[in-house]
Amino acid sequence: MASLTLKDIKKVYPNSEEKKSKKKKKGDEPEKQKANLQITDEGVVAVQQFSLDIADKEFIVLVGPSGCGKSTTLRMIAGLEEISSGELYIGDRLVNDVAPKDRDIAMVFQSYALYPHMTVYDNMAFSLKLKKTPKAEIDKKVREAAEILDITQYLDRKPKALSGGQRQRVAIGRAIVREPKVLLMDEPLSNLDAKLRNQMRAEIIKLRQKINTTFIYVTHDQTEAMTLGDRIVIMKDGFIQQIGTPQEVFNHPINLFVAGFIGTPQMNFFENCALSVDAGKYSVEVLGKKIALTEGQNKALAAKGVKPCSVTLGIRPVHMQLDEGGFTGKIDVSEMMGSELHLHMNVQGNDVVAVIPTAGLDVSAHSIGKSVNFSFNPALCHLFGEDGNNLL
Amino acid sequence: MQKVKDGPGSQAPANAVQKGGSKSARAWRRLRDNHPFLIMIFPAVLVVFLFNYLPIYGVLIAFQDFMPGDQIIGEYTRWIGFQNFTRFFTDVQFWPLMKNTFLLCIYGFIIGFPLPIIIALMLNAMKSKRMSKALQTIFNGPHFISLVVLVGMLTLFFGRYGLVNNIAAHFGGERVSYFLESKAFRPLYILSSNWQDFGWSSIIYIAALSNVDLGQHEAAILDGASRFQRVIHVDLPAIMPMISVMLIMSIGGLMGVGYEKVLLMMTDGNLEVSEIIATYVYKQGLTGVPNQSYATAIGLFNSIINVILLIIANTTSKKFSENSLW
Ligand SMILES: Nc1ncnc2c1ncn2[C@@H]1O[C@H](COP(=O)(O)OP(=O)(O)OP(=O)(O)O)[C@@H](O)[C@H]1O
Ligand SMILES: [Mg+2]
Repeated sequence: MASLTLKDIKKVYPNSEEKKSKKKKKGDEPEKQKANLQITDEGVVAVQQFSLDIADKEFIVLVGPSGCGKSTTLRMIAGLEEISSGELYIGDRLVNDVAPKDRDIAMVFQSYALYPHMTVYDNMAFSLKLKKTPKAEIDKKVREAAEILDITQYLDRKPKALSGGQRQRVAIGRAIVREPKVLLMDEPLSNLDAKLRNQMRAEIIKLRQKINTTFIYVTHDQTEAMTLGDRIVIMKDGFIQQIGTPQEVFNHPINLFVAGFIGTPQMNFFENCALSVDAGKYSVEVLGKKIALTEGQNKALAAKGVKPCSVTLGIRPVHMQLDEGGFTGKIDVSEMMGSELHLHMNVQGNDVVAVIPTAGLDVSAHSIGKSVNFSFNPALCHLFGEDGNNLL
Repeated sequence: MQKVKDGPGSQAPANAVQKGGSKSARAWRRLRDNHPFLIMIFPAVLVVFLFNYLPIYGVLIAFQDFMPGDQIIGEYTRWIGFQNFTRFFTDVQFWPLMKNTFLLCIYGFIIGFPLPIIIALMLNAMKSKRMSKALQTIFNGPHFISLVVLVGMLTLFFGRYGLVNNIAAHFGGERVSYFLESKAFRPLYILSSNWQDFGWSSIIYIAALSNVDLGQHEAAILDGASRFQRVIHVDLPAIMPMISVMLIMSIGGLMGVGYEKVLLMMTDGNLEVSEIIATYVYKQGLTGVPNQSYATAIGLFNSIINVILLIIANTTSKKFSENSLW
């Protein structure tokens, strides 16, 4: 029940004393790279230039590969980590120096972090008890939350006697009894098996209808990100890459990283394609064929004043189709997924993946070693310049 | 239904046959599979047997009129049944000994048991990990002081011409011989013991605390728990099993106080409170005209009390919590 504003947030984990002294001894070395993070004299820069406006009751998902700074960002919002620089507002209140308990937020941890010696009821009631809420009110709130999450029958049990999924519900229950303004979740489903994860994902969507709260959800699973988020924030190496709705980031990835990160199977990339322009009409040469771009694409390129150059062309596997007149490839792997067929092909030395609907398809004709012809709709391709940014 | 029930029962013997026939064959197989571990544990078993079990044989002299040089079991052994015990129970020293031992131990326990736990919780809750480590090291120091040196230090501080008296005298107070005062014996003994060992005893709790899930603390912070509330609601429950085990063990050893330090601190002045079972056993058995049978009987009596205490503590703990030694 509150908007959030993050202004140019930065997090630096200071070097420990030992590292500092070591560094001094060695003198001025070139700046080292650790998992592509910047290690400066101050320490490890885990998050930087993070600016984001989150609307009231919005569901924001932070997604990115491991170590990109998602948890750090979330923990700064929670107040578990100090904000090195920048401003964090919850509602209109600057909360940089506000204690976690006074920020009116709740958090669900990946490891659940339930109190093992307390029953489910006590786990959920703990924060209310600390706030000296009247007993009757605590009881009412706990039972309501338990009802929403369907854990009423476990209220007397200790966490030890619950399954992973049930524990996760309790952890969510503990967070929502307080009716926080902002609910933070750090990979809440990653300890669950695939089936349970899908089920809990659906429950979180339902939960969202039932409680009016701003959600900030961290995951490295892009399916979760796409299905849950109103908006997705894609991060890499401490920087925001793109912020947008699931459709936006899927249809208009801003750079090569986002294009490759969002969508499974991954987008196919063809490097070093020559982009040429002839009488205002752009065309791109891919796998030896010249493809004329569409009206819209021409306009976009012209508006940016793109000169003929070498580009990377990206096309999603789902946007490819079998086509006798198209490119020819040899099938390396053929994965039958039921409703669709994933064809991993070798096309002139490039690994290309195509997703083909199986309806009305002779699957046996597309086994390993066979050759196959395919094409794609130029309107659906993406062009990335040498700096990796989308040109369209 | 019936058939299903029969299933496992009828399968069990078949299983056993598969695994290797008779009971002895199975035992042999277990021995073979586990022999590295058995070899590793062998020295420990040997030491315990040689030094803890074999001497139990000597307990027999409690029931004899034994003179040094006699065989414990031989032609001339004079069995006298429980005479040594009845003699002890009717000894004028019996009740004072029991009382002195019990009070010394119980006071020591009341202060000495919670202290390391509190210290461990405090060290663990400290913000600066460096400070906490430094303090821990400092607290461990006194443990390595030998008893004789410790009592020497006590005399330097509390003797008639020691530091405390010098300060008191400087401000016009009267000199007190703390070592000749019965009242001062227990506080001196217990406080110095605790001073020496609280750091050392807290190590086990600090180790247990280091396993506490950081996430639980963070969850508690978000739930609005203060530092102190986190210690009570997160740290303390996490080390509760360890506390129960330590409690059972210390109750079991409650009456088992050693004689060395008491003997070192014993003076004619404090004899009325400092004479405990252990020192009495020592005096009876090894000084003056030794009466080893009598001393052994008293020692055995003391051990039996300890065993009974241990059993009571363990059963109680089993009943009221999930923790017990066996
Ligand atoms: N306490 C710390 N001290 C130093 N560096 C840290 C600390 N915590 C995190 N980092 C670094 O900050 C970077 C971001 O960490 P963070 O935990 O936010 O990643 P993440 O995106 O949550 O990754 P994952 O998906 O694996 O959870 C990592 O490279 C990590 O090594
Ligand atoms: Mg993380």
